Amino acid sequence: MRTIALATGLVAALLVALLWVTGGLDVVAVWAAEGQRAFQNSMAGALRRLKAGDTGAVFGLMALCFGYGFLHSAGPGHGKFLIGGYGLGSGVRLGPLLGIAVASSLGQATTAIALVYAGVLVFEWTREQMVGVTEQVMAPVSYAAILFIGIWLVWRGLRTVRRRAGAPAPATPGHTHDHAHPASPDDVCDHCGHSHGPTVQDVARLSGWRDAAILVASIAVRPCTGALFLLILTWRMGIAEAGIAGTYVMALGTASVTASVALIAVFARDGVLATGSRFGAARAILPTLEIAAGATIVLISIQLLRPFF
Amino acid sequence: MFIARHLAAAALAVLPLTKAYAHPHIFIDAGLELIFDDQTKLSAVRVTWAYDEFYSLLILEDKGLDPDGDGVLTDTEQKSIQGFDMNWTPGFAGDLYALQNDMPLPLSGPLDFTATLKDGRLISTHLRRFDPAIAMTDAPLRLQIYDPEYYTAYTVASDPVLQGHTGCRARIVVPDPTEASKAFEAALATLGTDQTLDDLAVDNFPAIGATFAEEVQLTCAP
Repeated sequence: MRTIALATGLVAALLVALLWVTGGLDVVAVWAAEGQRAFQNSMAGALRRLKAGDTGAVFGLMALCFGYGFLHSAGPGHGKFLIGGYGLGSGVRLGPLLGIAVASSLGQATTAIALVYAGVLVFEWTREQMVGVTEQVMAPVSYAAILFIGIWLVWRGLRTVRRRAGAPAPATPGHTHDHAHPASPDDVCDHCGHSHGPTVQDVARLSGWRDAAILVASIAVRPCTGALFLLILTWRMGIAEAGIAGTYVMALGTASVTASVALIAVFARDGVLATGSRFGAARAILPTLEIAAGATIVLISIQLLRPFF
Repeated sequence: MFIARHLAAAALAVLPLTKAYAHPHIFIDAGLELIFDDQTKLSAVRVTWAYDEFYSLLILEDKGLDPDGDGVLTDTEQKSIQGFDMNWTPGFAGDLYALQNDMPLPLSGPLDFTATLKDGRLISTHLRRFDPAIAMTDAPLRLQIYDPEYYTAYTVASDPVLQGHTGCRARIVVPDPTEASKAFEAALATLGTDQTLDDLAVDNFPAIGATFAEEVQLTCAP
C-alpha cells in the first residue's frame, strides 16, 4: 500500500514538473483567469442581492468565495512554491506541513482583514492606498522572507553535507545550479551499496515551531488583492460580516490547493527517500533535496523581487 | 548586484512563466473603432472598456453611487462617473500599443471620454489620436491590448469597427499560451552572454509581455 502511495506521489510530482517544463501551467493560468472572471461577476450579483436584503444569497456568496480562492491559487504562486519546496527539501512530516499550509492561508485572510479595517477605521486610506500597501510593501516583504527561507534551506543542507564529510552525496537531480555543490564525491564511504544507511524515520526530522512560524508569516504577510476588494466592497455596502466570512472561506479555497501541493511534495520526497534507503543513500538524499529545493526557492523569490528594484 | 542580476537571469531562464505569476483582478472587454481621415490615413482609434461586474460594483461603492442598487444612475451620478478611469498616471500607456513593421507608433493621451453603467457594468470609451496620421502599407498594423503587469486582463470582445475606409480588414488575434511561452523563451535565448537581465527587462519587456496579448491586426488593400 505504502509503496503504491509513494509511487503515485512520484508520478504526480513528475506530471506537475512536466507541465511546468512544457509551459502547460500557462494554460492553467489562462484557464484560472477565465474562471476567476466568471466567479468575480457572480460574486457581484450575490453581493447586490445580499445588500438588497436577500439573506439566502450569503450561501451563494460563500460558495463563490471558495471557488475564487481555489482558482486564484490554481496557478503557480509564492505560497505553493514555498510549501512545495519546503516539503520536498526538509524532513517535515505531512501533518505539520498541512497545518502550515492551512495556517498560512488563514493568516493571509487575517492580514487582509486587519489591513482593510485598519485602513478604513484608523488611517482613512483609499482603496488605491490599501492595494498600494499590499503590492508595494507587503509583497516585497513576503518575497524577501521567502528568499531568506531558501537561503536558509541551502545553508542547512550544505551544513549537513559538510558535517557528514565522508558520506558521498549524489549530484543534484534535474537541476543545474551554478552554486550549491554537494560534497565532493572523492570521499567514498565503506558501506555504500549495503543497507546500513539510516532509515527514512532516522533521516526525516520533525521541523520545529520556529520553521513553521517563519513559513506561515512569510506567506501570510502578503494578502490577496481579491480579498481586499471583497472586504472594502462589503464594508461600503454595509455587509461587513459577509465580507469577513467570505475572506476566510476564500482562504480555505486557497488552502485546498496549497495542501494538495504539500501532499504531493511529502509523497514525492518520501518516495525518493524510500528508494534511496534501499541503496543506503538516504542520508545523502535529504540534504541534497534540501539544497536543490532551497536553491529553487532562492531563484523564484529573486524573480518575484525583481520588479521592486 | 552583479551576482544578483545573473541569478535573476538564471531564474528567468529556469522559469519562463511571466504571466502565470500574476493574478489579474480587473477584467475588461475591450473594443476598438478605427477612424480614418479623408486621405484614408488612420487618424485615431476609439477604445471601449467594459469592466467586469465586480470591479464596476467596487467603483460605484467607492464613489457612493447607486445606493438603491437598482443599476440605474441619476443624471447627477451619471455626470460624476465621467472620466472615472481617465486620470492616467504619468507613463501609463493606456494598455494599448500600436505597431507598424514592429515599430511603435505614438498615440495621444485619452481624449473625448465617456462613461455609462449598463447591466451592472461600467463601460467607458476614449479616443487616442495618431499624430501624424498613419498611411497604411502592405504590412499589417497591429494594435495590442494588454497590461504589462497583468493586473488587468483584456479580452477583445467585439469585432473592430472601421470608419472611413472600405478597403481595410481587421481581425482579432488571440495568442496560444503555449506558443506565447515559446516566444518568450526564444526572446530569452537571444540574450547575448555579455548582456545582463536589465537589457532584456528594460528594452524588451513590453514586447515580451505583448506575446501574451490579444491584438487587432489591420490590413488594407493598397
